[in-house]
Amino acid sequence: MDEVKLIGFMCNWCCYAGADLAGVSRFHYPPNIRIIRVMCSGRVDPELILDTFLYGADGVFIGGCHLGECHYLEGNYYAEKKIEMAKRLLKAAGVEPERLRLEWVSASEGERFAEVIRVFTEEIKELGPVKCEKEELEAACIAAADYKLRILATKERELLEDGNKYGEVFTMHEMDRLLGDMVQEDYESKRILLKLKKPMSVKEIASELNLKPNVVFRRILDLKRHELIEIHEIRDNTPTYIANTREGVE
Amino acid sequence: MKIGVYVCHCGTNIAATVDVKEVTEFAKNQPDVTIARDYVYMCSDPGQELIKKDISDANLDRVVVASCSPRMHEVTFRKTCEEAGLNAYCMEMANIREHCSWVHTDKEKATEKAKGLVASAIAKASLLQPFEPMRVGVTPSVLVIGGGIAGIQSAQDIADAGFQVYLVEREPSIGGHMAQLDKTFPTLDCSACVLTPKMVDVARHKNIKLITYAEVETVEGYIGNFKVAVRKKARYVDEEKCTGCGDCAKVCPVTISNEFDMDLGARKAAYVPFPQAVPLVYTLERDKCMRCGLCEVVCEAGAINFEERDEEIELEVGAIIAATGYDLFDPSLEPNYGYEYDEVITGLEFERLCNASGPTLGKIEINGKEPKEVVFISCVGSREREGITNYELRITNSNLDSQTSNLKPQTSKGNEYCSRVCCMYIAKQAHLVREHISDANATVFYTDVRAFGKGFEEFYWRVKEEGVNYIRRELTDELKVDKDENGQLRVKTVSEGVPIEKEADLVVLATGIVPKEDVCETARKLKITQSGDKFFLEAHPKLRPVDTLTNGIFIAGCCQSPKDIPDTVAQASATASRACSILCKEYVEVEPITAEVDETLCCGCGICESVCPYGAIEVVDTEEGRRARVTSVKCYGCGTCGSSCIKKAVKMHQFTDEQLIAQERAALATEEVVF
Repeated sequence: MDEVKLIGFMCNWCCYAGADLAGVSRFHYPPNIRIIRVMCSGRVDPELILDTFLYGADGVFIGGCHLGECHYLEGNYYAEKKIEMAKRLLKAAGVEPERLRLEWVSASEGERFAEVIRVFTEEIKELGPVKCEKEELEAACIAAADYKLRILATKERELLEDGNKYGEVFTMHEMDRLLGDMVQEDYESKRILLKLKKPMSVKEIASELNLKPNVVFRRILDLKRHELIEIHEIRDNTPTYIANTREGVE
Repeated sequence: MKIGVYVCHCGTNIAATVDVKEVTEFAKNQPDVTIARDYVYMCSDPGQELIKKDISDANLDRVVVASCSPRMHEVTFRKTCEEAGLNAYCMEMANIREHCSWVHTDKEKATEKAKGLVASAIAKASLLQPFEPMRVGVTPSVLVIGGGIAGIQSAQDIADAGFQVYLVEREPSIGGHMAQLDKTFPTLDCSACVLTPKMVDVARHKNIKLITYAEVETVEGYIGNFKVAVRKKARYVDEEKCTGCGDCAKVCPVTISNEFDMDLGARKAAYVPFPQAVPLVYTLERDKCMRCGLCEVVCEAGAINFEERDEEIELEVGAIIAATGYDLFDPSLEPNYGYEYDEVITGLEFERLCNASGPTLGKIEINGKEPKEVVFISCVGSREREGITNYELRITNSNLDSQTSNLKPQTSKGNEYCSRVCCMYIAKQAHLVREHISDANATVFYTDVRAFGKGFEEFYWRVKEEGVNYIRRELTDELKVDKDENGQLRVKTVSEGVPIEKEADLVVLATGIVPKEDVCETARKLKITQSGDKFFLEAHPKLRPVDTLTNGIFIAGCCQSPKDIPDTVAQASATASRACSILCKEYVEVEPITAEVDETLCCGCGICESVCPYGAIEVVDTEEGRRARVTSVKCYGCGTCGSSCIKKAVKMHQFTDEQLIAQERAALATEEVVF
């Protein structure tokens, strides 16, 4: 089947109701999207989005209330940041971030809903099915579930507006760099972690993942410090590593 | 686990586009499904019986209904399950009508999609947990916002039922727009004669507390238990002491235009908006008063108090009725109507001119002159489609002079909807012109006359037969009101393709109804959704016309959409009945869509606490260390805490991580995964 598959997570109070209105008013749109109801767009976290891509979605649509009109006051502001995080992870995994779309659609915008879905479906059709390795998405998915990125995705608003515990307010630029680095690092770590289901050396990993050996080594040290991997054996003075099967300590 | 799946045809609503049999067969082969059936109307009595019978005969422990939107029938099917002894929250719906059959035409693809939606619902159903709805107590009182005819009627009905009502009005007096009207159509009742007794009744009612010159600041809480902060503005007059004698106004040296008379007349800075005001208490307008103190000297009751400050009032109520009213379209936005001229007025200004207590004491006159030719123009600011104004489409006929041709096409400033009252108020006003000035001519430029209400058509014909001249024009026909070199007002337009010009002494613009200026702010405060035209949105256009999507908050009158007085009153009484249905209960049931923290996973970091908009989560000290805890009744169930928790310790009931992931995976798994 060459048709693309889309999943939509939609807020019960606005976008889901907007989709209902599109139905009642018979505004047609392509049948590729499957809609899943949530109570607020703020409920959707990057892991859920990445998991959706991992299980075969070619596009994911998040529908929330217009900013300032959130049924729960500010859930959609959090949604915005979480979707940004998910986009960064998609990019790291080699998936076009445009495959993830966040839109504000109110309960009264039935016609607009149909239009938005029509355009989004067309765009995804242009892109075609997701072209990346399963392991890449899997790594992004695990990174999204990790506490570090979850904290950042949630705290971004606070860091930009109120500052951190030392009262330092981050500029957009600083935040962008911080998030970019964190996502890249975390994603690489998870890729390595997935590779280490079987024992491998730094050099082997570096060549398989097309990363510089010194970068791999740094990630390996990190992973080891968190007891997520351990030394498997030492072959000809070169250690090989393997993922720790015990529950990792974070 | 035994899941029963019920696929509805909805007559042909679903079955015409979705192969219901195929979806049912598909469902049978899904994990844990023991029964899958289709039926023509699942929500009908026999349809529900089908489900009930299976629940008891086959011991189903989860039910999936594939039909319309859960926003339509979730309550219905939950009840069905409950009646058969299955917990109401063990039912999940697949929306294969609004989200599928109604929006697609390709039967094969729509059927594929329906399968995906059903698979997704089955996956969620298998992870559903039984719940009991939470019960919360009810404060047996109501807040009514807005003291126009809608608010007055709601307040009266609820108070008559024996409940406490707080009626909050922003202006110094209740009465609203209806108090400004002279006569009402089609019966020509005197507006004040029917309204003022009701105003007095409201003020005297033992169950109604009138809070005028006050604004609702914040609204918190939920059905049965709202907490409202109201700011009562300082009047600088003691309401208890003021006798309404008006001595203060007599001596007040500050004269300003009277907004109640649409700025046609004047009033003092110490004022009541109109003689029949309720409460009959004077107000010193803060921004205009000079603090000269003359009023203080003459006030025998000693009611003047310059020390008065705004007062914060906290109210606890079980339900809220928003009856916040409307504004009128501003005709100066469309300069072709010539509103800049004194002789061009709006319908509401005309009402004040006609009114015996108005600025001219009921004489229709402009600059002291009685008009003999009165022209009415309908649909001002109404029925304009985006991008097309009444003068955008050009008339090529050169008979119309060059003055009009320098008008550039512009985007519509008006509204697309019909304001519903203008046709009839014009008819009434045309009648009143001839009643007040027997030798005057009345002409109406109209497009359609929408005389849809009881007695409207009859009234329209009566007015026509009295000699009012109705001239039809298309809405796209250019219309221009301006003055010629002699200062004579002229209305130029096209009727039936022929240019027409009419001299006029007075032009009355039938300006439409628009949402209140601060409607968005009010909507935000009350968490009411709005339709595209910004009026408040009802929960269902047919079956829940006065409910909003926020439980316990109802809407009445023109804040919902333009309507006339009888419709407003009917709607207001409906809100009263809806509110009473909450107040008469000891408790209301709230959906148990709440978060719960798994304390064995929680690390006490408090990130959930920081994102909760309702303060429903708190990190507390326990024997195991710092742990987050949810106060269920405060939790509204948005789930932002769940998506933020770094340990994934927050379980968002009915929308858990596992359920959402299962839904998404199942929806995608109906065909081969791409990898």
